[in-house]
Amino acid sequence: MRSSKRVFRDISMRAGWAVLVAFAAGSASAESVLTIHIEEQSSWVQNFNPFDLAGRRQSTMDFIYEPLVIFNAEDGGKPVFRLATDYKFSEDMKSVTYTLRSGLKWSDGQPLTSADVKYTIDLMLKNAALDTVGVGVGETVASVEAPSATQVKIDLKAVNSDFPETLADLAVVPEHIWKDVSDPVAFKNEKPVGSGPMTELRRFTPQVYEQCRNPNYWDAASLHVDCLRLPQISGNDQMLAILPEGNMDWIGSFIPQIDKTFVALDPDHNGYWQPPAETVAFQMNFKSGNEGNLEAYKDLNFRHAFSLAMDRTSMVDIAGFGYPVVNEHATGLPPRFETWRNKGAEGDKDAFMGFDTEKANKILDDAGYKKGADGFRTTPSGKPIAFAIIVPNGWTDWIDAVQIAVEGLRAAGINASVATPEYEQWRKQLIDGSFEVVMNSRADGATPFRGYYQNLSTAYGGRITGAPSRYSNPKLDALFDLYLKATSEDDHKKIFNDIQLLIADDFPVVPVFNGPTWYQFSSKRFTGWVTDKDPVMNPEDHDNNRMRLMHLLRLKPVS
Amino acid sequence: MRISSRRLGVYAVALAFAIVVNFILPRLMPGSPVDAMVAQLGPRATPAAVEAIKARFGAVDQPMLWQFVDYLKGLATLDLGVSVKYYPQTVVQVLGRSTLWTVFLVTTAIIFSLCVGVVLGAVSAWRRGGRFDTIVSPLSVIMISVPPVIVALTTLFVFAVSLRWFPVGYAYDPNLDPAFNFTFIGSVFAHAILPVLTLSPFLIGEFQTTMRSSMISVLGEDYVTMGRAKGLSHLTVMFGYGARNAMLPVLTNLALMLGAVFGGSIVTEIVFNYPGLGLTLYTASIARDYPVIQGQLLLMTLATLGANFLVDIIYGLVDPRLREAV
Repeated sequence: MRSSKRVFRDISMRAGWAVLVAFAAGSASAESVLTIHIEEQSSWVQNFNPFDLAGRRQSTMDFIYEPLVIFNAEDGGKPVFRLATDYKFSEDMKSVTYTLRSGLKWSDGQPLTSADVKYTIDLMLKNAALDTVGVGVGETVASVEAPSATQVKIDLKAVNSDFPETLADLAVVPEHIWKDVSDPVAFKNEKPVGSGPMTELRRFTPQVYEQCRNPNYWDAASLHVDCLRLPQISGNDQMLAILPEGNMDWIGSFIPQIDKTFVALDPDHNGYWQPPAETVAFQMNFKSGNEGNLEAYKDLNFRHAFSLAMDRTSMVDIAGFGYPVVNEHATGLPPRFETWRNKGAEGDKDAFMGFDTEKANKILDDAGYKKGADGFRTTPSGKPIAFAIIVPNGWTDWIDAVQIAVEGLRAAGINASVATPEYEQWRKQLIDGSFEVVMNSRADGATPFRGYYQNLSTAYGGRITGAPSRYSNPKLDALFDLYLKATSEDDHKKIFNDIQLLIADDFPVVPVFNGPTWYQFSSKRFTGWVTDKDPVMNPEDHDNNRMRLMHLLRLKPVS
Repeated sequence: MRISSRRLGVYAVALAFAIVVNFILPRLMPGSPVDAMVAQLGPRATPAAVEAIKARFGAVDQPMLWQFVDYLKGLATLDLGVSVKYYPQTVVQVLGRSTLWTVFLVTTAIIFSLCVGVVLGAVSAWRRGGRFDTIVSPLSVIMISVPPVIVALTTLFVFAVSLRWFPVGYAYDPNLDPAFNFTFIGSVFAHAILPVLTLSPFLIGEFQTTMRSSMISVLGEDYVTMGRAKGLSHLTVMFGYGARNAMLPVLTNLALMLGAVFGGSIVTEIVFNYPGLGLTLYTASIARDYPVIQGQLLLMTLATLGANFLVDIIYGLVDPRLREAV
């Protein structure tokens, strides 16, 4: 009981402070407050530690800590320079030098210099638990120097032309604050000093918090929103219940029957755009301990038959409420990377991407997979095939999709079933390789390269959840390596064309559909929203989308 | 007021049992808090990062016995560990902020239902077989058997989402800051109305049923007949003589039902996004936040034991026969 009193007193003290601030601001003209929903929680915890991926409020990145440079996937991966004005690789590609904007300030008025950037990266190198961008992963960064107040030189251990994209997730923190933090992992950073547009916490309660204008923001001229207001929302159902109140401006939620439940509430203002995002694919475990299954997975014929047993249309329409789109290509290239598409890797090569049980059965018959008395096939060498496809418990749309996949596989005589472990267990199985087959999406970068590299290269196999298949192909690895060492966009495109060809032929995973982006908005109070008619950037307000900063800067209050 | 040492012994054994079960249960479940943390780290979970997290949560592989000793030490110092979901808040902090709301909700629901249920029970016993009784008594049975989740969803849909008479969630208007003024307290009550109404049907039904049967037997007692013979008013006899003495089984029932009330409050809090223990337990279960689950189960055990203890004492106060028997 003692502690609950303390919590209560904390809240009341903050309340007093908020009243004071509100009083002080009262004389100014009406402020524009943007109400947004970016994460689901049953209670807000005041944690703005950018290194705490699990516990931080998801308004920490971009809004409190501005990136050096952002890459816009909807614009061919072009850089949008923020704290930095430029970056250059050295001749040998072994180091990259960033130039910072001059005159940058932290929200407390102290200058933001290259020393802060160096300090932040060094902090991550010293403390692996803080390494949120992977400067130490695979021994990426050798050392960091700050030759001048606006220059940061990062020495790499190996040539890596993809490095700046990785560094887009870096939250530069102020050295003058963090050097006194004894345990940066446990630090809650309750009163953050940052570089982004919204650094001032005016109000924080378990039910709502407000993040307001940084008084020293370098790009204040572009900023027309005074405060972000984040009400606590515990889940989709809660969202459905509060939508009719019409108080939400920017939403990133799964809303079933969105035209009826959201747009119809205020057809003049409510809108959404949910363009296809990451590719969802079935991945088989190429290091499976089950001999029969392994023999099947490694056989291209089996993978082709697997793919032909997939009723992708039903997965999209029935399991996904029509929100996802079918991925029709053996390369699995996400639609958002249209400009990277290699037409040569399509057409004939997509022959196995339809839904054709008859053809699947024929391929398996011809390849020597005989049906036993129970109606299920064995491998050509006579070993049984039986596997569960794992999908996290509670992900109802995905579970339904896997259910549909299993029906198709059984119709082709393959003994498949569904298993729904808890999410954490699911992830653990992907990492330690104790699963058989999984349906999984993979994170895209600003270009399609990162998704493919982290998904299918030997280096990443089994190390991250995006690469559970443990696929290993020296020819593909060589192409990836070539790509990392290439510097021109033309070279990158050429190499990526080869990558697509190779993948379409070897068919390591079975692509099925592309999940939607979660983005809804109301233009009642703000204009400037990204829409399908103006698809200039990923519109989501979630933590994994750096471009949300640019989206915020587009918004203007309705006068 | 004294309580027999044997009775105290029973409480001690129950408490010890609860503590041991509370320790073992989470360790039998698959997964661990560290797994949960690592899962949240995603692709960045390098071996070094995983080691750092393990060290932070003290999840070094040590024998069960030592873990148990550590656990007891923690209990003694009110250190129940750190929450995984709400890290770096401690379990005590997490439970602290939720407990107040649940206690408020459950207490209000119990007091409200007790008043309504007892009066309904008393009146239907007084006029048993009458029209009032034939309507109210079957209704009670229905109210007991309808699952709380249905009541909660229906109330939410009808009164909050469709009619918009009441808020759809939260413990108070998020725009307000906690303070002791009329607006804030009013907001707290406005937000509690639907959750309380959701919790009540079951309780009212139970209280009505228990009260009715207890009252019927009391009404046959000589002192009631005497009260009537003295020419006292119906109301005085019904409540002063009958209901007062018929209350005992209702109190017993209340103690037995506490667990069910908390169970109902879990569902109610989830549906109404009410920031109490129920919502916390639900979120903690989904996030595999073992320290919080463990702390909460312990808290609930203690609450139930404490409530039984309290009822024991009240019993002694209310029933003079027991007072002398001790």
